[in-house]
Amino acid sequence: MQAGLKDKTIRYSLPLLALVAAFLFPLFVSSPTYVQIMILLYFYAYLTTSWNLVGGFAGVLPLGHSAFVGIGAYTSTVLYLHYGLTPWLGMFVGGALAALVGVMIGKPTFKMRGAYFALSSIAFAEGLRVMVENINKLGPFTINGPRGLLIPLVGDSFIKYQFLRKEPYYYIILIMLILVLALTYMVSRRRMGYYLAAGGEEPEAAESLGVNVARYKLMAMAISCFLTALAGTFYAQLTLYFYPKGILGLDLSFELAFIALIGGRGTIAGPILGAFLLRPLNEFTRIYLGGYLPGLHLVIFGLILILVMIYQPRGLQEPLSRLYDKVIRKLTTRSHAMGVEKA
Amino acid sequence: MDVILQATVNGLLMGSIYGLTALGLTLIFGIMKVINFAHGSILMVGMFAAYWLVELTGIHPYLALFIVVPFLFFFGYYLQAIVIQPVFKAERHVREPITVIIVTTGIWYVLDNLAMMLFGAKYRVVTTAITGHTFTIGDLIISVPKLYGLIATLASAVLLYWFLKYTRMGRAMRATSLDRDAASLMGINQYKVYNIAFGLGTAVAGVAGCALIPFYYVFPTVGVVFDIRAFVIVVLGGLGSIMGALLGGMIIGVIESVFSQFMASTWTEGIIYVIFLFILFVKPSGLFGMKQDW
Repeated sequence: MQAGLKDKTIRYSLPLLALVAAFLFPLFVSSPTYVQIMILLYFYAYLTTSWNLVGGFAGVLPLGHSAFVGIGAYTSTVLYLHYGLTPWLGMFVGGALAALVGVMIGKPTFKMRGAYFALSSIAFAEGLRVMVENINKLGPFTINGPRGLLIPLVGDSFIKYQFLRKEPYYYIILIMLILVLALTYMVSRRRMGYYLAAGGEEPEAAESLGVNVARYKLMAMAISCFLTALAGTFYAQLTLYFYPKGILGLDLSFELAFIALIGGRGTIAGPILGAFLLRPLNEFTRIYLGGYLPGLHLVIFGLILILVMIYQPRGLQEPLSRLYDKVIRKLTTRSHAMGVEKA
Repeated sequence: MDVILQATVNGLLMGSIYGLTALGLTLIFGIMKVINFAHGSILMVGMFAAYWLVELTGIHPYLALFIVVPFLFFFGYYLQAIVIQPVFKAERHVREPITVIIVTTGIWYVLDNLAMMLFGAKYRVVTTAITGHTFTIGDLIISVPKLYGLIATLASAVLLYWFLKYTRMGRAMRATSLDRDAASLMGINQYKVYNIAFGLGTAVAGVAGCALIPFYYVFPTVGVVFDIRAFVIVVLGGLGSIMGALLGGMIIGVIESVFSQFMASTWTEGIIYVIFLFILFVKPSGLFGMKQDW
């Protein structure tokens, strides 16, 4: 009884400690480069966690999520540049639009075999990129084709979602990440999560038990697209400049899927773990080896992906969480033994 | 009118090559139920193999076929046996294993970027005995290498059809495609079937590689150009259908070629995606989609 309680305390205190460390990080590290690296890390972790809602829990394979990042960034920015609407509201418009589009893609494809959904998500994202690259003015809105959009710098202004220092962005994305993790946790523990898991593994069996699998998948898709678009606005405000190839390109879509799959899809820790392992690897191999061996970092990336899929198809979170359990068990037995000794 | 007719003929010829790449993809999907995302990269490997053969030995590009196609067959065979099979075995109870799709994506990244490291990002062309040869029928100008491409496509499709329909191995493949468990119970070694199916799919990509060499650039990411089109084609024609892959390829080729007469060619790519999404909404099983895959 006592040991069980201790076990729980330790189990939950470690993530809490990590959370506190994350909040204190900018107070101790003043270098904007490192803060920026952490911002991008959280950004990818956030995107992958959103991806995971449909890609992990619903058991389908979306390979065009960059489309929703792009929809978010373009919607809020166009509304801001054209009507002066604050991106804080614009991001919800973008989110709603992305959710609508996501449902439109999911509706015909979720009923079919998974390959159709994967292919149509790619086709949609690529189609959208080609469209955006070819359109300079969409009705009254300027979208500048392949050159992308530039948000004029106005200095520190909360209402305009612009800050001169990196720290505000750091806290915004950190809070977004925490919220999306909490949402994932809730979904996985509620009826929706169980239905999704059932529909992902055995769609026929779940259907025969009266679960409307397609409907729950559509709900997951809508939520995922909505959240992804919010990150698009964040990215636009962070960099104040974006262009179709970068923000709508397939590379981003695939990277999100890779991070989730290597980390462990359908789990809460997987995307975070994947982002924390792969993003730094990506950055460092590109910086140190990219100069004389272009493409090496992507070869490494692909090899890791293949090896993980062969040896750990459930992702790296599985062996690591087993290790974590072991460490905790050791800690609890020791504290328990110490307690006994004192008594 | 002449312009349109010419564009249609050009589109048909180029489209047959698209169809040829889609053929390999649809074959692998039909039997293994796996979308091979590395298919374009394997085409790239075939093109580079043909390129170096022609460049270094100076042989006729169509003679290179007899070396490149077996090479790619074994390349695919062992790729499937060594890299893909373990993942497949781990997920053998799933009808459509997502991890396998992901592994092929990994292979795509590795192959494309290895080529980038080895050969650099530059565009290569090889001048062969038939490069630039044309003949005319009335006002129509027809490119000789592209015509051979069309012939290669038709020949491959007929051979493949014959193989699947009339040989023992072909029957085993169709059985595995319909129900892999039942086929296993009948004594068919499904993993051997997969190796051969994958090898055949990549061998077809080898044919496409040799057919492309006389008139197309070779570069490390050339596969992506054909990959995306092949995906659209297989859905248009119906996943798993040989006939669908051929006709789908020609339809896409003609649309691309004719539309580029009226608008900027950057737009035609967008139109292909619009068609793709339209098909998904209206007739998701594709033009030749059947209840079963063969």
